[in-house]
Amino acid sequence: MQDRSHDILTVKELRVNFHTFAGQVKALDGVDLSVKRGEVLGLVGESGSGKSVTALSIEGLLPQNAEVVGGEIILDGKDLLAEKQGEIRLARLREMAMVFQDPLTYLNPVLTVGSQILEILETDRRVFTPVVVAARLEDLDKAAQRGSLTEKESREKSRLEALPAQETLGRREFKRLAKAYAVAILGRVRLPEPERMFKMYPFELSGGMRQRTMIAMALVRRPALLIADEITTALDVTVQAQILKLLRELKTQIDASILLITHDLAVVAEICDRVAVMYAGNIVEVAEVNELFRNPLHPYTQGLLAAIPRPDAVRGQLSSIKGSVPNLIFPPSGCRFHPRCPSAFERCPLSKPPLVEARAGHFVECFLYGG
Amino acid sequence: MGLVLFGISLLMFYLTRGFLPPSFALAPYITPRMNDAAKLALAQSLGVATNSCPSFQAFSALQQACLVPVWAQYTSWLANVLKGNWGLTLLPGISGTQTTVSVFFSRFPFTAQLAVMGAALTIVIGIPLGIVSATHNNKLPDHISRIVSLGGYSIPQFWFGYVLLIIFVLYARIGGLGLLPGSGPLATTCVICFTNPGSVAPVTGAPIIDGIISGNLHYAWDSFAAMILPAITLSITSIGALTRIVRSSMLEVLRQDYMLLARSKGLHERVVIYRHALRNALLPAVTVAGLLTAFLFGGVVVIEIVFDLPGVGYTSLQAVNVFDINFIELYVLVTALIIVVTNLAVDIIYAKLDPRIRY
Amino acid sequence: MTEIEPTVEVNRSADVRFALHLFRKNPLVLAGLVLSVGSIAVALLSPFLVSPTSWQITHPLLKNCWNNPLFGWGNANIATCPSPYALGTDSYGRNLLQMIVLAIPVDLQIALEVVLSAVAIGIVFGATASYAGGIVDEAILRITDIFLAVPGILLAIVFMVVFGRTIPVLTGAVLLIWWPTYVRLVRSQVLSEKERPYVESLRSIGAGRVRILFRHVVPNSIYPLLVQATLDIGSVILTVSALTFIGLSPSPLLPELGNLASLGSQYFFTAPWLIIFPGLTILLISLGFNLLGDGLRDILDPRLRR
Repeated sequence: MQDRSHDILTVKELRVNFHTFAGQVKALDGVDLSVKRGEVLGLVGESGSGKSVTALSIEGLLPQNAEVVGGEIILDGKDLLAEKQGEIRLARLREMAMVFQDPLTYLNPVLTVGSQILEILETDRRVFTPVVVAARLEDLDKAAQRGSLTEKESREKSRLEALPAQETLGRREFKRLAKAYAVAILGRVRLPEPERMFKMYPFELSGGMRQRTMIAMALVRRPALLIADEITTALDVTVQAQILKLLRELKTQIDASILLITHDLAVVAEICDRVAVMYAGNIVEVAEVNELFRNPLHPYTQGLLAAIPRPDAVRGQLSSIKGSVPNLIFPPSGCRFHPRCPSAFERCPLSKPPLVEARAGHFVECFLYGG
Repeated sequence: MGLVLFGISLLMFYLTRGFLPPSFALAPYITPRMNDAAKLALAQSLGVATNSCPSFQAFSALQQACLVPVWAQYTSWLANVLKGNWGLTLLPGISGTQTTVSVFFSRFPFTAQLAVMGAALTIVIGIPLGIVSATHNNKLPDHISRIVSLGGYSIPQFWFGYVLLIIFVLYARIGGLGLLPGSGPLATTCVICFTNPGSVAPVTGAPIIDGIISGNLHYAWDSFAAMILPAITLSITSIGALTRIVRSSMLEVLRQDYMLLARSKGLHERVVIYRHALRNALLPAVTVAGLLTAFLFGGVVVIEIVFDLPGVGYTSLQAVNVFDINFIELYVLVTALIIVVTNLAVDIIYAKLDPRIRY
Repeated sequence: MTEIEPTVEVNRSADVRFALHLFRKNPLVLAGLVLSVGSIAVALLSPFLVSPTSWQITHPLLKNCWNNPLFGWGNANIATCPSPYALGTDSYGRNLLQMIVLAIPVDLQIALEVVLSAVAIGIVFGATASYAGGIVDEAILRITDIFLAVPGILLAIVFMVVFGRTIPVLTGAVLLIWWPTYVRLVRSQVLSEKERPYVESLRSIGAGRVRILFRHVVPNSIYPLLVQATLDIGSVILTVSALTFIGLSPSPLLPELGNLASLGSQYFFTAPWLIIFPGLTILLISLGFNLLGDGLRDILDPRLRR
């Protein structure tokens, strides 16, 4: 029985350590995060704040030297940390999908783009049969409406419509329909000539096209949660805008929630509903997008927003947050931001502040607001 | 490719003719019944002596007027050879009227059979061992595989052959017979051998295949049994090399970003390793196929001597001892041809596997 | 004009510490070090351990004698010997252990000569090929192709047949097999080094091409050469012993590991120790250098990628 609660993903008190030669890196220090159904949650922070580690922890793809030392990750009612390998793999196949930063290194160079999409569908024919059949029927219906349905196609249409709900297609037929579906998805991510694109190799495509391919790979399995890890960072600004536009369109078409990881506040402003700000392995502020930009509460968020260069500000230097990112092997005590914080006081180094709801729907981890 | 073969023939020719007195070149062609005039005519027809040479004695005495420069000798040798005339065989125990070519090609299939078995063993053991070693990095299978590969790479083949013989023929005995055959191409006195296999018509020259073709499966099996230890010995070095290469390239590939994406797509681990990792990891391994072929064809010489097998490797040593240079030349050129063809095939396979190369 | 050295210097002492750390972590490399250094030590000490001329004296009455209380050989023909020999006697009645000790320096010396010469040839021709480019490069490459397409053993056999069966010829024959690999290795190293930015900056201040080649590019390409040379000492010994095993040695009495093994091959049925111990020695020496070379590659390689 599916849990129809409000949140599709809940991360509670997630702690992750990395064992390195130089010592234990305490990368995540009790991360609390939740993504509501149907929303786009932005996760912002500078490099090294732990955003990607969080994403990889959710997917269960942490490297060998990482260890989850505490917390829960609950996706659609299931605690992913308690699941066996096989279950996690199924979750990756059917419920969540991740899109990565640099499509050149993340796509297998010796396989065609199409085959890399097709293999996802072929992993579990039972699960994907309905999807694939539905897509084909949609095409056939459109053809029927236009009146261009051939004899063969109309027979196929009736056969597919008569197919019982739990039936799995035979291998060859599945492959044919799956390929058609994959091509259709390539079209949906607005790739030109999807039929031709199917047979091409990653190195033959441009950066933007590759990124769309990766998005297609996520789309094809209709995940409940889509994690986008810095997907625009490796692209130039114009392509970036196109990808974001695509994401916005897709968001309305498919029924997925998106966790959008980025270090670029501009991207956040473009498409996110809510934002979570991350610093040194902690979530320091969560709020609805407009609210965050209008009333940043945490000193770090304030510093970030102040550092954005404004075309109308004529005078002075660009402001920046003093100090540098802390060493996570020996992190600062208490609130990890306190060495750089302009408003730090005696309480800050003593203990980590709890997440409090300072305003409606606006959470902060800072002693300035109680806790 | 032709250039390389041409170069090899030139190299071998110059090596064998350029440093020794010209009378050596005559040796394979001389029959006992030739008198001096016939010998001189022979020398002239081979291009070793000039047409203006007065007598065979003058030629033997290395008088300037009689000597043909080496490059000219090469061209006339080449002319002879391209007509298929490689001279008569000098090998002991064979009638002097047999041509080098016929002797060579009657024994070559046997060696080829051995080399093919060695190659098959190399691939069948080397690749999986390398994969397992990489996927279980630093755990027990990895340690075992590294010992096997490093050991195999460091072991003297002739010694390994004798060690296997000592173990399987001397020590592992059941009912007074060794477990595997000791030496020779056909085994009748071992535990797993049939005692009376009969004989077969030499259709291809490779005993196992001949046995299967003529339906004499006992013969085929016994021939196969006789090849077990030689094939293992032959392949041990290349197994070591291939395992190492596959292991290191798999390790490299497993670290790549696209492995992360493949796993995140929810693919079965099996698919991730064999479809995504292996296709990339095998690329460097494929490029050494030519090198390994050279390894194998060089190794057969020693193996055939250790196990007393009637192939061209063993024969080539006899040829060396009686100075039958034509035989050696033929052997080298045929082997080089095989290696060159293998390298070509490798290039084609590589281009098929790696789409980036076509551009 | 003052010489400006490239500033790509690596922090040497930190690297030494890292190297020692790797050595300690990987016992196989340590084993390799022990074996290879051990064999070199035996080679250097051998004139003091065994009389250098003892290999020329045969003792027909002591032939194939085994009297080591530690092992018994199942089917061996145990002749009665007056005194125990640690590894028995060979078919000439000589003390096998002493012969092996005399043989180790012979093999190591040949191997060292071959490898050092191959490295030298490789540097000269490889650097020339890659720096000169064009037809010189093509020609040198084709010649290496030719040599690499002939199975090594055959080439060496023919060479020795033509020029005689002496140690220098043996060394030359094996060198003939190995030099093309080094030419190619140096060439590819130099080719990739050439593209590095520091070369361009050196050119722009007017440094001559030869000078850049030998004072900068070659020293920076040295690591893979070092690794390959160490590994090859092991492989060369295998080839040398294979050649002497099939009969291409100056004299059957010569103390050389392959030679000793070939003497023993006739008696492997009755006196297996005759072939086992010389072969085992070859295995250990070759293993030692291979392990060492592997370890060197691990130490030097990640640093190259920095």
